[in-house]
Amino acid sequence: MSLGVEAIDIVKVFGDIHALDGLSFSVKPTEIFGLIGPNGAGKTTALRVVSTLLLPTSGNVKIFGIDVVQEAAKVRKIIAYLPEEAGTYRNLSGWEYLEFMAEFNTKDKNETREMAKEAAEITGLAERLKDKTKTYSKGMKRRLLVARALMNKPKLAILDEPTSGLDVLHAYHVREIIKRYVKEHGVTVLLSSHNMLEVEHLCDRVALLNKGKIVAEGKPQELKENFASANLEEVFAKVVGLA
Amino acid sequence: MLKGFGNILVKEIKELVRDPKILLGMIVVPLIMFPVLGGIMGYSVQSAREQAEKATIVVVNNDRGNWSEHFMEYLNSSMTVSIVNDTTLDSYTVLRLLSDYNTTQLIEIPNGFNANITEYKNGNTRINATVNFYGVFSGGGIFQEVGSAIIDNLVNNVNRKIAPNAVYTFKSTIIKGEIQKNVDPSTISRLMLSQAIAMPITIMVLLTYSMSIAATSVAMEKEEKTLETLLTLPMDRFAILMGKLSGSILVAAVGAVAYMIGFNYYMGSFTSSLGATLDLVSLGLVPSVFGYLLLGISLFVTLLSALALAVIMSAFSEDVRSAQSLVGNITPIIIIPALVLMYVDVNSLPLALKIFIYALPFSHPIIAAKGVVIGDYWTVVLGIIYVAVFTLVILYAASRLFATEKILTAKLKFRWLRKRAKKPTKELQ
Repeated sequence: MSLGVEAIDIVKVFGDIHALDGLSFSVKPTEIFGLIGPNGAGKTTALRVVSTLLLPTSGNVKIFGIDVVQEAAKVRKIIAYLPEEAGTYRNLSGWEYLEFMAEFNTKDKNETREMAKEAAEITGLAERLKDKTKTYSKGMKRRLLVARALMNKPKLAILDEPTSGLDVLHAYHVREIIKRYVKEHGVTVLLSSHNMLEVEHLCDRVALLNKGKIVAEGKPQELKENFASANLEEVFAKVVGLA
Repeated sequence: MLKGFGNILVKEIKELVRDPKILLGMIVVPLIMFPVLGGIMGYSVQSAREQAEKATIVVVNNDRGNWSEHFMEYLNSSMTVSIVNDTTLDSYTVLRLLSDYNTTQLIEIPNGFNANITEYKNGNTRINATVNFYGVFSGGGIFQEVGSAIIDNLVNNVNRKIAPNAVYTFKSTIIKGEIQKNVDPSTISRLMLSQAIAMPITIMVLLTYSMSIAATSVAMEKEEKTLETLLTLPMDRFAILMGKLSGSILVAAVGAVAYMIGFNYYMGSFTSSLGATLDLVSLGLVPSVFGYLLLGISLFVTLLSALALAVIMSAFSEDVRSAQSLVGNITPIIIIPALVLMYVDVNSLPLALKIFIYALPFSHPIIAAKGVVIGDYWTVVLGIIYVAVFTLVILYAASRLFATEKILTAKLKFRWLRKRAKKPTKELQ
């Protein structure tokens, strides 16, 4: 069986900046894989390349054996991408937004409705889904967007900082959604976060990213043991020579 | 002084000066636009005036008396004349002579001119001498009536020399190859001039308003952070472009229909206000149904090209505000043809300016509006074809932009002024 994600030696250059500098990693099917690192490490760029938004300057990425450059349209059929600062359409209600997004996945009206209903369940927003999204708090919007990303049961969900900027309760809710959905539907998840403690509890495996390169990779527990650290933050600090 | 004022002021100035779009829109464009506009306007008006004044007039002298020779001398001293003697004038001959001498004005000194003046001078003031003036109406412009006005001046001068009201001018206007007797070309010109002023203004407003709406389409997606999600959905990226454009097209179509209704009312108001004295419908100066249809199509394709241009420009903006200011920078290419064509007929412009005006897609509905009135449908149709091709090119460029990562990463930078562009981005399949 093909790997969920197979990234080989990706380089991405913006002008004089090397955002990705020979990045390689792989994600197994149904695995939750975390790219972690500080701001500016290249996490978002890596996820954008995987989700067909950006072209790698060099290197190859395959999603379940499909090349993201040569067959981008095919890749888009099996992925769902949640950008870090994603927004909603302000004048649509939460329910309308979910229906609008569901229609891109199926032409069947009943299926669309079912998909939107399932997403509505995931959000836990209940009656508030009838309100326009411009009235939502940041946490409510994020729950809506996470539900949107998972509602079509993608083979690969790419989640950029899924709990970024959320309070403890909303962050907990979003993490629970991701865990439950992966378990129930066998979705493969590639996510990024600069919150290393959070990722430790959510991911099966993680890769520590610094200056566009992977500096360490493995299961959180293994990494902590190998670097004799109490948590991934300490691991990272040791790897980059800060501790 | 207010505490903190200086600090805020310095920050504001830094932010404004460092935003290339504002710098371009507020400083560079006006600095370039107004001198260019002034230059073009001055040049156009000057050349149109010179052309009108230099125009040749065909003089058909069917009277060989002293007074007619005297009148000829006046004519000769005032304008360039081509003299034809002893030719009986009917509609066909008038048109042939105008065509042969490549001019738009003809004056006939009819047989009996000399005798009538002599009678008049002898005290029989019931008899006037008449000269017949024919002017071709070619669509307007403020100098259209120059020929007719010169004849009026001339006749007044002659009358002053001979006797008040000795000579009378019988004026006819040639409209679409038909001679309309007792219709003064200058009256028609003045009438059509008000149309020539109102139309460019309306089109200018419609175009800038529609572009401003379309400019927000992509920029809004960027500002609200919804574009990235949209670009990763299982859909054709061209569908995003076409969807956005179609929304704007609907607005444009409604705008075009509203415009046509307004225009029809506008033309109708002239016809009714003039009453029995001058009926524009019978003179053929109101567009036919086909003319209205062509004008509608011309307006529609021009709006479409403007909208496509606005959409592509908004892709280079990060938010709605900068999209609006960026699109505002192309206002000069809407204003210039509108202002120029308000005052002068495109055919009276020097060749280089004529090419410039024809090259601007936004000139064509204005030219079309004149064209359908005077029945010059070919110019209108060619204009529609040109603008349609221009629109297709813009749409193609927009589709390429949407197919690449440029739609996300494109920004207006001043760096392109200093550095050569990198290799074009590969396209995602």
